[in-house]
Amino acid sequence: MSNDMDNFVGLSVVLTGFSREVLAPDLDPVDIKSEYLPVFTANVTKESGDPSLVADIFQKYAMLQSQTLTPQQIGEAMLDPANGEAFVLACRKLIFMWYAGAWPTIVPASATAQASTVSDLISAKAYTASLVWQVMQSHPMGDSNYRYGYWNKPPVPLSDYTGQ
Amino acid sequence: MFPLIAGVSLFSMTQILVAADNRPSTPTALPTLTPQIPLEVTSTKNPPTLDSLQHDFDVFSWQSFIALNWPANADGTPNTGVTIGQATNSPVVWESYRESRDIFLPGGAPPAPWGQESPLPPVCKNIDAKHLPPGTMHLTQVGKTPNVLDESGEPFKTGPLIDQNGQYARFAILTNEQMFDYIDTNKLYSKSGQKAFDANADFPSSNTKSNQVGSIMIKTSWVKMGGKFDPAKFYTTYALVYDNPAEEPGVKPSCVLTQVGLVGFHIAHKTASEPQWVWSTFEHVNNAPTAGQKPTLPAYNFFNATCTSCKVNEPPPRPWNPGTAYTQPTQIERVIAITPDAQQLNAAYHQALAAVSADSVWLNYELVSTQWPTNAKSKTDPTGVPAPSFLANTTLESYIQGHVKQTSSSCMACHNNATTTTGNFSDFTYLLQRAQ
Repeated sequence: MSNDMDNFVGLSVVLTGFSREVLAPDLDPVDIKSEYLPVFTANVTKESGDPSLVADIFQKYAMLQSQTLTPQQIGEAMLDPANGEAFVLACRKLIFMWYAGAWPTIVPASATAQASTVSDLISAKAYTASLVWQVMQSHPMGDSNYRYGYWNKPPVPLSDYTGQ
Repeated sequence: MFPLIAGVSLFSMTQILVAADNRPSTPTALPTLTPQIPLEVTSTKNPPTLDSLQHDFDVFSWQSFIALNWPANADGTPNTGVTIGQATNSPVVWESYRESRDIFLPGGAPPAPWGQESPLPPVCKNIDAKHLPPGTMHLTQVGKTPNVLDESGEPFKTGPLIDQNGQYARFAILTNEQMFDYIDTNKLYSKSGQKAFDANADFPSSNTKSNQVGSIMIKTSWVKMGGKFDPAKFYTTYALVYDNPAEEPGVKPSCVLTQVGLVGFHIAHKTASEPQWVWSTFEHVNNAPTAGQKPTLPAYNFFNATCTSCKVNEPPPRPWNPGTAYTQPTQIERVIAITPDAQQLNAAYHQALAAVSADSVWLNYELVSTQWPTNAKSKTDPTGVPAPSFLANTTLESYIQGHVKQTSSSCMACHNNATTTTGNFSDFTYLLQRAQ
């Protein structure tokens, strides 16, 4: 019987393309997942107006995960428009949150402006833990664990960052 | 992935009980006090968790603290004829280590061989070793003791720390013989030697197979005894307290023989499974209250409960001058509370120390925490993803406590930036920057 955190992490692995060992390692002093899950739950519930949407998303993921499907197949099934607009949008926002460390808000088009997306940084920790830096094989501005002179060498392969 | 926690336990883990849920529980037997420096951390839970490993590392820290503060023979080896707390005022093991001032000499001169005396600053030459106070016999082993305290600014130069007597706290950094030998053999004590070496430093780590102790660094902080400080409550020694004109503009050289008490104690130990080193920090229990909590002690070493206008955790205004007769004390609070598990471990070790001597000075020291790499072999994070993320000693990182990355104190994140004078990685020590 999986719990919300298990499903949240599993779904995040599928949708982000990063391994579980990177997103939620067994020894996890950063523990960004514990910051993201409440943000995801609260914002999706508030924005959709549907108190059961998050549970539906996790239930759907758990059902797919119990079948013999590849992560690619699970991801495609989660993003299938047949799930409904709010469902798919929540999944896409989950991806945004992991990559940007921020929660996105879509601003509809107006008579004078095109639709756009703005985002609110979740926390300082989320900023440094966001996956975009890993994809860049780099580090956040103002926060580097690399050693002096690292720029003199090529970064390790992307697969070492994604864990895939 | 779990870090490789291999090796042989050199200390008794059987005395710390593990509950049914595998979380450490209240010990029913006292921890063993041994002069054996542990060479590696032993996991007591399989598979380990973050909490269980933190506990294991904290036990490693306490065992290290006990062994390093064990009464020593004249050659610095532990005196196995006594137990810690029994030989008050005799030198302890780590005092035989080499102080940084005696390694990195003017002009890049070679340091004296291990165990031999190093020259004192000329201004200290007026001190007559024949007329030292009682209990200072170890000071005659000049080269083997940290007998000169010449640093009045915190190790990261964030500012001096002023105690409740209005006096500057003093600091010293020392290395053990293995670390000293690596520096000496590779001539890393001088800029020219480092230039010729031209490689990343890689200090020897402890090895459980060969039973060899690896590199250990000690960082200490001290306050002058007297006034509000009762020497019976501190581990004390007599030291030549030197006001170093090179530290701050306007400081006049001065050297005074003074009884000092230990208030802060860092241990950094490089082990085979933790190439980022294991970082342990201890403090005197009276140093400072925890922020957000009501002060519980009648008096503190670096906090005045009656001072409502004192700014907390801010360095004193310049000019800084340790020669000043009195300076307004700094107001220090601990920003990150000691965890309940560490408090429980402190209580267990205090019980064991009290069983040896009810008035042992070591009852007045507590573990703050231990920082260790959760993923020592990470390919993308050379710091090994430390846990806890932040760790500070209120006497050694007073002004950089907190939770902000790259700003607040993190042993490994900070020392990961350390280089030699040529820009090569210096293996988590800033000491090599002191080469001249």
